Amino acid sequence: MIQGKILIIDDEVEFASTLRQRLALRGMDVSDAHSGTEGLEQLAGYKPDIVLLDLKMPDMNGLDILSLIKEKYPHTEVIMLTGHGSVAAGIEAMEKGAFDYIMKPVDLRDLLVKIEQAAAGMEQTSHGQ
Amino acid sequence: MNTKRMWISRLLPSPSEYFEDTAEMEKNYRYFSRRLFVLLLGLTMTPLIIVSGLLHYQYQNLLQKNELTQLVLNLEQSQNTIERFVSKLQSIIKFVARDDRYEELRNTEELKALFVRLQQEYPDFADIEVIDSSGRQQSYIGPYELSGNDYTQQNWYKEVLQRGVYLSNVFSGFRQVPHFVIAVSRKLPDNKGSWVLRVTIDVNTLQRYVDIGVTNSISDVYLVDAAGNLQTKPRKYGLIGEKSVLLHDYGLTEYSISETLADYQQLLVKNADVTVVKTPEGNEVLHAAIDLQSTPWRLVLVKDLYLDGNAWFFFQLRLFSIILGCILLGVLILLRMSHVITAHIRQSDRRRQHFFLEAESANKLAAIGRLAAGVAHEINNPLSIINQKTGLVMDYFEMTEDFKYKQAMEQALNGVQESVNRCRTITHRLLGFARHTDVMIEELDMNQLLQEVVAFLAKEATYNQIAINFDLDEGLKHIQSDRGQLQQVFLNIINNAIDAIGNEGTILLKTRMQKEDGIRITVVDDGPGMSVEVVQRIFDPFFTTKETGKGTGLGLSITYGILKKLGGDIQVNSEPGQGATFTIVLPLVQEQQ
Repeated sequence: MIQGKILIIDDEVEFASTLRQRLALRGMDVSDAHSGTEGLEQLAGYKPDIVLLDLKMPDMNGLDILSLIKEKYPHTEVIMLTGHGSVAAGIEAMEKGAFDYIMKPVDLRDLLVKIEQAAAGMEQTSHGQ
Repeated sequence: MNTKRMWISRLLPSPSEYFEDTAEMEKNYRYFSRRLFVLLLGLTMTPLIIVSGLLHYQYQNLLQKNELTQLVLNLEQSQNTIERFVSKLQSIIKFVARDDRYEELRNTEELKALFVRLQQEYPDFADIEVIDSSGRQQSYIGPYELSGNDYTQQNWYKEVLQRGVYLSNVFSGFRQVPHFVIAVSRKLPDNKGSWVLRVTIDVNTLQRYVDIGVTNSISDVYLVDAAGNLQTKPRKYGLIGEKSVLLHDYGLTEYSISETLADYQQLLVKNADVTVVKTPEGNEVLHAAIDLQSTPWRLVLVKDLYLDGNAWFFFQLRLFSIILGCILLGVLILLRMSHVITAHIRQSDRRRQHFFLEAESANKLAAIGRLAAGVAHEINNPLSIINQKTGLVMDYFEMTEDFKYKQAMEQALNGVQESVNRCRTITHRLLGFARHTDVMIEELDMNQLLQEVVAFLAKEATYNQIAINFDLDEGLKHIQSDRGQLQQVFLNIINNAIDAIGNEGTILLKTRMQKEDGIRITVVDDGPGMSVEVVQRIFDPFFTTKETGKGTGLGLSITYGILKKLGGDIQVNSEPGQGATFTIVLPLVQEQQ
């Protein structure tokens, strides 16, 4: 069982809500936001430990949101969702502090592995502290 | 200007019109080559022929004039010599027959003494006689027993009395020796009439003076009388005493000098008559005649025509041989030249055509790439939703107890999931095809890279009973390139080869150095091969020969794009039933872009 709160930020409402339901079915604490602005609001209120962040949204760029998150909440881990199939964009995101990236359409097993890794990393960090 | 350009452009082959029709192009090039040859031939040969013709004409004219000038000079010279000689003979006879010597010369002894003195100077004097005022012979010294002849009724006697001097035609007389006569008349004192001194001279004397005129260029000289009877012995044309053979008409002459004569009228001596006549043998000769002053004779010079002779014939033969040689040589060189020029144009046209096709292909790829990326991106989002929704339903199924059709519904959902996965593969490839990923250059060993790729596919190959063999160049240099992308390239190509063979077959991987600055990798399979149409379209995006759903038609397009990006090239050779050979060339070093 994965501990910690997860926030999904993606402008595709159906995608975000379905993914939220599936993660919730696996006993996780999940919320979803459907725009960059809404995502930032939830970040402040919901205070997630892990953010699944879409790279491209109509109102804001995923990379900019990533920078904001890393600036305000440096302990929050971000996993980028790239629709590009672009390795370069994923790599750029990781350079900016993202934990990892995963390409859409997302295979849930792959995503769960990455979430587990992120959570495990956080635990180590928190234990370390 | 406009017509000129049109004319020239019509000469040149126009590859754009028949870009893809090789047979039509070939016809076009052959036509161009022929026209170029004819044009060059015309340009070079026309002046050659015109100049040669002009030179020939001018030289011929010059020779003709030269010939005429020489003939006229010779004529004048001979005329002067003979006239002077005859005049001298007359003077001598006039001198010895002084008016008051009549009485003295009537005496045979005195006449003989005079004759002996004259003969010492002129041995050809044959006889001498004195005739009194009544026309009777008074004394005679000579080979005959002549005495008392009466000449009163003879024409020559009348003429000598009238004109004081008489010169006869040449005649044979009793001795059958050709000779002529000079007679002078002198007044007797006290108006008692005139006496006459008559001398007969052998024609040999005259002959010697006439023969002086024979030179290398003059073939015959002789004298004729007013009736055309030969007065001296000709070398070639006729016998002395007979009519000159050249006076007969032997037919029209081909050779005309009237034009030259008209141009050179001033050259001719007055009263000279220059014509071209035919000899009995049929040759044409120059015939020049002129009256000799104070004689009954006409001087004739005959000259062989140079232009009718062997020398001129051989000159013409040589000239025409040289011109013909030049023309033949020109034809050969120009044929070769047109061939080479045409080959050159053909080659550059082909190169241009090749570049054009390459550029077209690159443009097509780029446009399709952009389109593909857009489509892939748009499809990706709904695909993600389908993916998640089916996942969610499957999640619920797992948490639900068994119910009717549960299994069938699970199977249907699995089918949806599989289709989604297939779509995902396609969109990911489409995006990969279009994206501009950074090239990561490192030094790599192509032999090793190929072995790694084959190791990856070994299982599949073994399963299909396909042997993958290597023929690797041990001395192959390492290259600087992108390892990941090259792996994708060879994975694609070898995978295609395995798919093409199907079951049982061989794939050969060969590496070699390509000149000094590149390497060449050939992938040969013994599969069913491809038709020309397939080979032509093999790098086109979405072109596939695989069953629907098995291939995206992007593998070789991506391969092509990667190789171009890495500065390399790929070519395919294949025929149905002959397998296929992919040849990849890569540079040793990446050029900085």
